[in-house]
Amino acid sequence: MAGPSHGMRARPRANLGINTVNYQALRRLGAAQGGGLFVALIALGAYFTFANASFLTRSNLLVILLQVSVVGTVAVPGAMLLVAGKLDLSVGSVAGLAAACFGEFNKITGLPLGLSIAGALLVGGLWGLMNGVLVGYFRFSPVIVTLGGYAGASGVAQTITADATRTGFGPAFAVLGNGEVFGIPVPVVIFVTIFAVGVYCWYETPIGRHLIGIGANPEAAEAVGVATRRLPCVIYVLSGLAAAAGGLIVTSQLDGASVQIGVGLELQVLTAILLGGVAFNGGRGSLWGTLAGILFIGVLDDGLILINIGPYVANLAVGAALVIAAGLDVLYQRIERLPMGTIEAVPSRTEGAGESEQSETVGVQRREHRRSDALRSRH
Amino acid sequence: MRYAPGTEALPATGNNTAEPASGGNGQALAVRDVSKRYGPVIALRGVSLDLRRGEVLALVGDNGAGKSTLVSIISGLTRPDTGEVLIEGEPFAGHGPKAAREAGVETVFQNLALVQTLSIAENVYLGRELYRGGAVGRTLRFLDKRRMRREVEAAFDRLGLDLPPITAKAGALSGGQRQIVAIARAVLWQRKVVVMDEPVAALGVRQTEAVLSLVERLSEHGVATLLVSHNMEHVLRVAHRVVVMRLGRKVADLSLRNGKVSGMQLVGLITGGITEADL
Repeated sequence: MAGPSHGMRARPRANLGINTVNYQALRRLGAAQGGGLFVALIALGAYFTFANASFLTRSNLLVILLQVSVVGTVAVPGAMLLVAGKLDLSVGSVAGLAAACFGEFNKITGLPLGLSIAGALLVGGLWGLMNGVLVGYFRFSPVIVTLGGYAGASGVAQTITADATRTGFGPAFAVLGNGEVFGIPVPVVIFVTIFAVGVYCWYETPIGRHLIGIGANPEAAEAVGVATRRLPCVIYVLSGLAAAAGGLIVTSQLDGASVQIGVGLELQVLTAILLGGVAFNGGRGSLWGTLAGILFIGVLDDGLILINIGPYVANLAVGAALVIAAGLDVLYQRIERLPMGTIEAVPSRTEGAGESEQSETVGVQRREHRRSDALRSRH
Repeated sequence: MRYAPGTEALPATGNNTAEPASGGNGQALAVRDVSKRYGPVIALRGVSLDLRRGEVLALVGDNGAGKSTLVSIISGLTRPDTGEVLIEGEPFAGHGPKAAREAGVETVFQNLALVQTLSIAENVYLGRELYRGGAVGRTLRFLDKRRMRREVEAAFDRLGLDLPPITAKAGALSGGQRQIVAIARAVLWQRKVVVMDEPVAALGVRQTEAVLSLVERLSEHGVATLLVSHNMEHVLRVAHRVVVMRLGRKVADLSLRNGKVSGMQLVGLITGGITEADL
């Protein structure tokens, strides 16, 4: 009896071994997709470096970072919202509203600079709070609420400014958009700081996994005590604040507060986040991937201009990259669903299950053999 | 052969079923005279039951017998009209599922509370993360990922579970493996009472076996289990006692330790063909 049963056991186990190895290799490939964009980014950078000597220079790299700093700043809370299955389409209009409010506060109301900045940030935060309460607590559709904000916030901005552009905020305010700290542009410093805080929150505190939980399985997240209402609401507030900060940075760079500031920002942010591998329906994604997405667009825009190919091609390239990323995403999801081995728990106490099933069971663990052998010898 | 508790000594790290647990006569859960009506429908009529530490109590009954209402009350999802639920002698009722969890009741539902895109370890500690020591670690909510992984691995080891690496995503697990993770989580969080509503309903033969053997092992760890099942074979195998519900009443409360109750008799009690006095 021992002979055939051993033979029966050995064959499927060998199969399992092969399958497991294959799956693991595939899975590693899938995990690499998360960082795949980083590889593409490095390849792109290498190409531009060969094509144009001025690409890999300190000043050009700072230009790239400066170009992406506003989108990047807003994309940090944006990625957190998207991974939780939420969305903020109002960031562009809120940036414009904050800029407009800053202009009105400083030039018309006559508030000092600091208070004007604080007021503009407050407006952004309040708009985010409204989004957050409606989406987080009242469970309104994020797309509809923030699409309403997209139209509504620019409507408010146009109303209070009567479409006028305020200018001349002075040298102190110009530092925000044009100043440097240790040779690094202030907007880049702001972006890097916010990204670093974002990385800490995402990876080192429960926030990241809670957001992923909310995005992937809201009922499960709720059941184990994740703040499925409060957490998204807080991130919406941060999104509004980041949008307002972005609006102020652009206002400073232009030295002009216009309602046109922030137009199209929401789509640029969304493109970077999606390119970085955050699933549109939430539940999957990483902040590091989002960084890759942000930088990829920045490098592409900058490099194509350096090698004298116009910005139109850059748009086309970003579009193509987005579609390719969507394809890889589908592939990645399939890889992730591949079964992990076949081992369940160790059956104990019942000898029946051990006897009848072992022969057909694939890959029963060693421990189970030991246990059932012990049982057999006892009886 | 059916496992009869107490007759066979298995290596157990937790409290054994045989020894009475300390405090409150080892009583983990007590339901006292609970009634619930939904409009004209009386779902529960004065149901009482007791569950001791390390005991597996099966709750059986036909559809509409009141099992789900009772489970819902014990898990804190439903507030009873009258009566109370006591966890280790402390009453709680109708303060919501969170209060029930804090009181020590973990409910494992059919649609498992796992997040597919998070790893096994992340799932086990979801909503209950461990932070690094010191005031700084706790204030900054700095995750102690290594300790969480270690604890999960230790708990799985203690329960004798062989699962894929705990860094694997829950989405890659089979239905049985997910069920097992959900149950193991209850143990790791040191719940006193685990309520399982049809835990093996959608599982295959081997997965069912794995879950049932885990239920048996839970009792070795002193966890009280309330098992709702339609499968008399499973009930007879893992449960120490069975409560039969019929039309909102408890019609029988039988010990299964002596092995005298048969599956047919249980079916008779469920359908009303026989009464407890006929046994």
